[in-house]
Amino acid sequence: MPMRQLIVIGTVLFAVACGGPQSAPGPQAPPATTAAEPSTAVQLGGPPTGAGTTTADTGEIKPADPTTFYKKPGYSPYAGRNYPERPYFGDEHVHTAWSVDAGGSGTTLGPEEATRFARGEEVTSTTGQPVKLGQPLDWVAITDHSDMMGMITEIKAGNPEMMADPTIKRWREMFNGGPAEAKKAVMELVAAQANKKLPPIASDPRFAKSVWAKTTTIAEKYNEPGRFTAFIAYEWTSNAGGGDNLHRNIIYRDNKDKADQVLPYTTFQSENPEDLWKWMTEWEKTTGGKILAIPHNGNLSNGRMFALTTFSGDPLTKAWADARQRWEPLFEAIQMKGQSESHPSLSPTDDFAAYELWDRGNLTQTPKKPGMIAGEYAREALKNGLKIEQDLGTNPFKFGMAGGTDTHNGLVAAEEDNFFAKFPSAEPRPDRWEEDAMNFGPNRIVKGWEMTAAGYTGVWATGNTRAELWDAMMRRETYATSGPRMIVRFFGGYDFTQADATRSPAVAGYAKGVPMGADLPDAPAGKAPTFLVAALKDRFSGNLDRIQIIKGWLGKDGKPQEKIYDVVWGDKDRRRIVNGKLTPVGNTVDVATATFTNTIGDPELVTIWKDPDFDPSVRAVYYARVLEIPTPRWTAYDAAYFKIKITDPKVPMTTQERAFTSPIWYSPK
Amino acid sequence: MRMRTLLAEPMLHFLLIGIALFGAYRWVSPRESGGTRIVVTQGVVDDLVTQHVAAKGREPSATELSHLIESYVRDEILYREGVKLGLERDDIVVKRRVRQKIEMIAEEDASTRTPSEADLSAYLTANHERFVQPAVLTFDQVFIGAVTSGPPMVYAAAVTRDALRNGADPEKLGQPTLLPHRMTLTPADLVARAFGPSFAATLERVPVGEWVGPIDSSFGAHYVRVSARTPAIAPPLAAVRDRVVREWENERRQRARDDAYARMRGEYTVSIETKPPTQRP
Repeated sequence: MPMRQLIVIGTVLFAVACGGPQSAPGPQAPPATTAAEPSTAVQLGGPPTGAGTTTADTGEIKPADPTTFYKKPGYSPYAGRNYPERPYFGDEHVHTAWSVDAGGSGTTLGPEEATRFARGEEVTSTTGQPVKLGQPLDWVAITDHSDMMGMITEIKAGNPEMMADPTIKRWREMFNGGPAEAKKAVMELVAAQANKKLPPIASDPRFAKSVWAKTTTIAEKYNEPGRFTAFIAYEWTSNAGGGDNLHRNIIYRDNKDKADQVLPYTTFQSENPEDLWKWMTEWEKTTGGKILAIPHNGNLSNGRMFALTTFSGDPLTKAWADARQRWEPLFEAIQMKGQSESHPSLSPTDDFAAYELWDRGNLTQTPKKPGMIAGEYAREALKNGLKIEQDLGTNPFKFGMAGGTDTHNGLVAAEEDNFFAKFPSAEPRPDRWEEDAMNFGPNRIVKGWEMTAAGYTGVWATGNTRAELWDAMMRRETYATSGPRMIVRFFGGYDFTQADATRSPAVAGYAKGVPMGADLPDAPAGKAPTFLVAALKDRFSGNLDRIQIIKGWLGKDGKPQEKIYDVVWGDKDRRRIVNGKLTPVGNTVDVATATFTNTIGDPELVTIWKDPDFDPSVRAVYYARVLEIPTPRWTAYDAAYFKIKITDPKVPMTTQERAFTSPIWYSPK
Repeated sequence: MRMRTLLAEPMLHFLLIGIALFGAYRWVSPRESGGTRIVVTQGVVDDLVTQHVAAKGREPSATELSHLIESYVRDEILYREGVKLGLERDDIVVKRRVRQKIEMIAEEDASTRTPSEADLSAYLTANHERFVQPAVLTFDQVFIGAVTSGPPMVYAAAVTRDALRNGADPEKLGQPTLLPHRMTLTPADLVARAFGPSFAATLERVPVGEWVGPIDSSFGAHYVRVSARTPAIAPPLAAVRDRVVREWENERRQRARDDAYARMRGEYTVSIETKPPTQRP
């Protein structure tokens, strides 16, 4: 049977490539002391601390290691098929009334309401509007700001202390000066946090413990293994130098018993990510648990998210690179404050990079200076990481892709036709598109229409539990979407042929290759990497326009390079490559009625692609980008629903929803 | 009667206890009576140490402790100065924070009561449709194609049917798809999430153990074999106890918050002195 032969061959191939099957530590094993040590080994499924065992229904398995997927083919074709069969969609970035900037802007929905909403329950929004998700999420991480989690309340102690600071006097006047002024006050509050000008009482740990314990209790209550995962999580909100966004979401693999042992880390302790990593190291040692960090909004970091120096401006070291790779396996590449995957100025040949850009300033809209953008976007960082790996021996930017909403009204409503935006003031209302979403003064304004209805993370896990989802995140087997729940597979290997693209891509994918987030094994002499890539549309959204593979590599001169390949597309019969470019898929959107038809594009795309320009002596990174056909943007749904005219030509009324997969890396021997 | 209702009110108990505690606190710590005198008692220092241990997992060093104390003093002074200037009044941030606190007090109050079996049974009976355990399905599917009608689809369906009846390997039939070829012991609502609700509903009806089709999903037409199925049931309390408790508590929490507000609202006379809409600028 050819399939079984392939499986056997694949197993042998991987046994060789991986140096034999690795024994998985037992579930009760304490985290190895090397947990704190950075991993330098190139290993399938990422650093060893991440690919721990899970206790799935199928028993203990090591999800990332394909050698365990196919041991011996037996009678049952399904036995032993323990690879991830479906992606689980969720949001790793949600703020509720318990975050001070959210509560201060009027949000009344707390973590319990936010979690219920993510699970698919109907809730009433802060502005009194009933709202429900089109499709429930499979998991959520409520990430209230750790800096503020303590401030909100300490009820039982009855402590009368509250914020009391001269700044508040001005806020008070502004809050009383009508909605526009009140909104400005919230912006100032955000800026004050960014500029370290919050009242000193904000850092007082006396208020913290009970709120954190309440947060973890709620997560525990709604976590239902197999059906819905509620992660314990928080956001560490570092705004270096006055609003340079270095925020990280901290996601816990474990339950309340471990999470309650230590309070979340705050930026009152430090704004330097290196200190956060130290704290994470200590946390794991103290509790025996596991946590990871997901940075976001590189686009608002004014060049600092992927800077080629440390926080304090020193040259990068191997230890720094080890720590970053160890603790930050994912990067949130899209959310309501725009995308951070690619920028047209960095990728001038990319026709799709100019998408949902927030590229004028940092979080407080302090304008960017030339050169800053190069340190902000995922693609550039993936390329620069190759160079750093060559120089230092470790790639600090070896991250996969995540998507979140960063909502501040407790509603993970990222669907274009169900967009409840970021703050209560931007919940559905006829004027929201033309108002200021953020206003930090003249020329430091973001308009309402610039808000992005995005995003979610697809996680290829073996089951819907905290441990399984977390392990998949740690091995970077994830992808980001701008909202639609498209299913995307991406495998790399050396022996994929078109025959593998015909049926059950995952069977061949895992048997003959590595999934997204992993490393290609060494290249056999004379062979170039082949990739199996496939995507299936969201059943509620548009058909697929195309799949692209984006390759970054290190040129002979040591300079990072990139190239975008269109590898498979819809409407194959009528579309051509003209002057090296695929002709556009077309557009069926009727903006006036905010409708479209799936008469163009394809519902499902699959192909095998072989790198035509492979040089085995050169480091490379590959990831897939899936584009939908044009569909109405939330601004079009607003215009149709509220019967308003949006005539400003700057306002996009259609969008091309998309997914970015985690990369697959190649390193020469 | 009215008085008795009031006396049975947990919120009142809470307030009275609060007032009593506050009074007792004032009495035992007379030195800390405000004004321009601040006394950092051993109790305060112990508290700071405890909080440091909670945050960092270790005792503070001498330098850290003196920093903590200094920070405590600074909080005290700035807070008192702020209050002297009346900065806490009419401040929307402070207002919302205090509102959150009072709502949480109301919620906490509700959460102190654990539900009795009778509460839970009554809740389950009243909301039984929310606790129905969906049918659990195990099935294989072969994807015939994205088109669900017309001669080519009918032909493809017939070819698939004949092949399946002749014992062909379903793995090798039909169109390639990323949809799962098999779902094992999966609740019908999760099947609906992957394939669409009408597909899941059909699978609850078709005969078990044989290939049937074509069945339409959100993606196209399929042949399907359901190999195991347990029907949807209205579960006994024991089977869904945790969920019933959670929903009961959530409802009670929200009601407590709204009731507390309604009660307080009743104590106020609110007159809204707004101009009629036409007179507004």
